[in-house]
Amino acid sequence: MSNTMLKAAAGFILLALLLAIPKQVESPYALHMMILLFLSISMGQSWNILGGFAGQYSVGHAAYFGVGAYATMMLMQARQVPPWIGVWAGMVLVVAVALAIGSICFRLRGPYFVLASIAVAEILRLSAINLTALTNGAEGILVTELPAFKLGERVLTDFSTKVPFYYIGLSLALLTIGVTYGVQHSKLGYFFQAIREDQDAAHSLGISISLYKNIALVISAVLTSLAGAYYGIYVGFVDPPTVLGLDLSVQIMLICIIGGMGTLWGPVLGALVLVPMSEALRSNLVTDLLVKVGLVNADSKVGVFLKENLAHAHVLLYGILVVLVILFMPDGLMGFVKKLARPRKQEVA
Amino acid sequence: MAVFMQSLLSGILIGGVYALIGIGLTLIFGVMRVINFAHGDILMVGMYLTYIAFTWLGIDPFVSVLVTFPLMFLFGGFLQKVFINRVLKAVAQNQILLTIGLGLIMSNTVMLIFTSDYKLISTSYSSSTLKVGGGVSLSTPLLVSFLITATITAALYWFLLKTDTGQAIRATAQDREAATLMGINVKRMSIIAFGLGSALAGTAGALIAPTYYIFPQVGSVFTLKAFVITVLGGMGSVVGAMLGGILIGVTESLSAVYISSGWKDVVVFVLFLLVLLFKPSGLMGKSRT
Repeated sequence: MSNTMLKAAAGFILLALLLAIPKQVESPYALHMMILLFLSISMGQSWNILGGFAGQYSVGHAAYFGVGAYATMMLMQARQVPPWIGVWAGMVLVVAVALAIGSICFRLRGPYFVLASIAVAEILRLSAINLTALTNGAEGILVTELPAFKLGERVLTDFSTKVPFYYIGLSLALLTIGVTYGVQHSKLGYFFQAIREDQDAAHSLGISISLYKNIALVISAVLTSLAGAYYGIYVGFVDPPTVLGLDLSVQIMLICIIGGMGTLWGPVLGALVLVPMSEALRSNLVTDLLVKVGLVNADSKVGVFLKENLAHAHVLLYGILVVLVILFMPDGLMGFVKKLARPRKQEVA
Repeated sequence: MAVFMQSLLSGILIGGVYALIGIGLTLIFGVMRVINFAHGDILMVGMYLTYIAFTWLGIDPFVSVLVTFPLMFLFGGFLQKVFINRVLKAVAQNQILLTIGLGLIMSNTVMLIFTSDYKLISTSYSSSTLKVGGGVSLSTPLLVSFLITATITAALYWFLLKTDTGQAIRATAQDREAATLMGINVKRMSIIAFGLGSALAGTAGALIAPTYYIFPQVGSVFTLKAFVITVLGGMGSVVGAMLGGILIGVTESLSAVYISSGWKDVVVFVLFLLVLLFKPSGLMGKSRT
């Protein structure tokens, strides 16, 4: 069997497993973890198209995430528009926002682009806080009841369990991976990478820099807005710091960077590493483990302190990981894995 | 008119502290071409040092500058030697990511130690004001911090212009390779520059500690402000950062009065984008090459 067929077979088995999980697994917590994983993959993969392939490090991706989330939630709350219709409005809006941002930020290069992308996202966050009539300001928007999803008269789901969210998340993650695959294997992808490697050389070869940067941005922004809308309806609550904040922008890019930029599976790997790790910290698994192993006494001062505070510090992990990645594996985990695999191949040859 | 003068003067006073933050960032950028995304977090560490000195040792925030400055200098030098130094030749994006990571580590470590509760340093003069006539009164802590800022800036200026080390730092900023050929220890200058930049940020943190809430995430606001200030003034220009700081202070203070306090930061960011678009070299900067 050839390599490609092996890969395809493995892919099908994996997909079948993923489709079967909600039928076999009852635990809402396990489903919640998978949903977070899908969300992270989608966010990282969306960033990957602009940051990884086209080389434009946007540190303002919360802007698109937030616009998608807010548009869907606002339409649902104020006009009772169901999310599967509202999300289209969000996408149209996000394209407009992305093109506006692109026309400003893509005149700038390197660090200046990074700074401009942050500034634009911050302007959106502050606007969401201040436009109280539209966005409910700092209090955020809460929507607990989702309308039932009907096909004709038949109710497909009423969103009372996590299962429909699981399948939406899985489709979203597959969509972003699919789009990335499509980009990677098309002329578009080569143009993006040419711009990333040497903008001036690409320009001299007749590649329209601003056109292709904007295409990369729009693809990336639309996918990010889908992730945002999905987050909004899953959590049922959005407010400016969580969906438009700088922290979110940083997290989005870190998923991709830790995993490996400009590779198809980098963001997936990044999400696979980051989600369980930060969940373990958040849910106090680490503290419990330390107590069980006997390193820390649960009732001692240290134990109580860890239990109370370690949960809030899961972002610390992001910081440590990104420093380690930049210093020791600048190509991300993906590059590191490949590097480990390479010498062995040479021995065989 | 009194309202205008009042907000103009308070803008200039707070702008002095902003200038200190901006000068620190511009110094680091000038010497190493690294944009320090952890700048606000370094400032935050300075704030907490001040908080510790005040609550545990009873040292006045303004006096604690004498401790904060050298400690933050060492901290910055350490950051440069251990982390930043390794990525000086890497692409700009990786340098940015490294400093973002360092900033996350700082803010979250502080959160682990002090929790994310808001802390306050309340001194006898925290809310006292000084009447200057014409219906204008100035906040005493802001006035004191402005004077300290002015002193430090003048001292720094003298240091950069007149001392051998200062000249070596400027030479390194102008041309790293040429400086190396002239026998300047470029690595050492980088450590000093990062140390100084951090010390300035930490000092700014100490100076605003009596008038600001202290919490682990306070840094990101100041990181962004520091960028706006330095880009406005021209990346790498110390005089530009001074002007930029005061300009931003005044813009904030005036737009808080005449537009609304909720939108004042938006005004600043819009100004920032306009500068990036129309004069990316800033007020005092030379055009980019």
